[in-house]
Amino acid sequence: MAEFEVVARADDLKEGDMRAFDVRGTKIAVAKVAGTFYAFGDTCTHRECSLAEGDLEETTVTCPCHGSEFDVVSGQVLRGPARVPVGSFEVRAEGGNLEVKD
Amino acid sequence: MPETFVVVGASLAGGGAAATLRQEGFDGRVILIGAESQPPYERPPLSKEYLRDESSFEQALVQPPEFYSENEIETRFGVRAKRVGVAEKVVEIDGGERVSYDKLLVATGGRNRRLPIPGLDLEGVYDLRTVADCDRIRAEVAPGRKAVMVGMGFIGSEVVASLRRSGVDVVVVDRNKVPLHRVLGEEVGRVMEGVHRDHGASMIFEDTVAAFEGDDRVEQVTTQRGRRIECDFAVVGFGIEPVTELLTGTGVEIDNGIVVDEFCRTGVEGIYAAGDVANHYHPVFERRIRVEHWQNALEQGPAAARSMLGKAEPYEEVPWFWSDQYDFNLQYAGFHTEWDELVVRGNTEERNFIAFYRKIERVLAAVAVNRGRDLRRSMRLIKAQRPVDAAKLRDPDVDLRALLSAT
Repeated sequence: MAEFEVVARADDLKEGDMRAFDVRGTKIAVAKVAGTFYAFGDTCTHRECSLAEGDLEETTVTCPCHGSEFDVVSGQVLRGPARVPVGSFEVRAEGGNLEVKD
Repeated sequence: MPETFVVVGASLAGGGAAATLRQEGFDGRVILIGAESQPPYERPPLSKEYLRDESSFEQALVQPPEFYSENEIETRFGVRAKRVGVAEKVVEIDGGERVSYDKLLVATGGRNRRLPIPGLDLEGVYDLRTVADCDRIRAEVAPGRKAVMVGMGFIGSEVVASLRRSGVDVVVVDRNKVPLHRVLGEEVGRVMEGVHRDHGASMIFEDTVAAFEGDDRVEQVTTQRGRRIECDFAVVGFGIEPVTELLTGTGVEIDNGIVVDEFCRTGVEGIYAAGDVANHYHPVFERRIRVEHWQNALEQGPAAARSMLGKAEPYEEVPWFWSDQYDFNLQYAGFHTEWDELVVRGNTEERNFIAFYRKIERVLAAVAVNRGRDLRRSMRLIKAQRPVDAAKLRDPDVDLRALLSAT
């Protein structure tokens, strides 16, 4: 049963930052863009690099290894070589904690 | 009469161009002609995941096979285009059929360079360009078998990494001092040499193959310096040469490929070129360049298609590619043939760095090993071609994105 899990303090993640968390065995990345948190699958669907190690520009994350681009809001592929979207997850700041639902 | 656009080269560039013609609303005939029997596919996995049997051919397809008929793209796969008649506007294909065109895109790519080495045609000596080539090499791969890799460019380096991963004993022969010497230079090449040695590849540099020898098939490789290397099979990687014969006699300028402007146009009305074969004028570097990499094929094919439709914008993508070897991710962006200074950020010994090829204070290109984020952040710097302070390039605390506005 998917539940919200505390992954960090909400203010640990600065504007424009990304971090990956292990949420019950799933690697989930959280990005903060214009004050809003977005949670998405951290593992690139092309060759399994960590997207949180890549680059974030507005709501687009670029894979550090092969340049695939994903929309952090929806997980959709914006640019290959990846063809399969990453997951999109619920995230919230609750009582100063950053919580993600896997 | 609806117009007919013909694309020769059913590759990433050619296939992408045909798809783009439809996406942009072209409602004439689109005919895609390719020498290989398969629908367009991507080649990067052929030296990596596909060679190691970790991915399927279907995963490499640019589009699902039914895509072409669904989009009314007429395909002629396994058919070679022989010549172009400019006056009649026809492409003559295998068997003598003549296909008329109103506009023609040539994306014929490259073919492997063959050097006059005795025994190169022996059974068990391979090169790698197509999936058929790769299937032949794959059939030789098994733990404990012995291979010789001749040439340590990018394809050679990736093949060696894949063969080692698959348990093949590999001896490398390369005429340069280090792997990837021609493009990356000695300092960066030395890092990759260490990577290959750590993974058990034996490497012989500054020597060349004298002959491939064997009775029915290759059994040993001899070198100019008198070495004798026993092997079960060998792979050669001497680079590619652009396939341009199709345009012989058409008046299209051929010089290190098909010469085109920044709109993928040749000097002959109605004929365009894209991908590995196109020696294109690049506005950023203010010269012609020919790029033999995935991203260029991916982007330039569609750019040429838009140009054919009168929607041209200058093609000025900064060339970029990756090369995965073992667990190392190497990426390169830009274009350089010479440099004044190599500026390194990070640590080459730890194999985590980005190196900038700097000439007259401008960054022409950068190469990164396991440092993709910095490479991404360098791309605008490269595109801007403005003087950049070397100390700032070197300083890991300086955000590469901020450098551009600061200078």
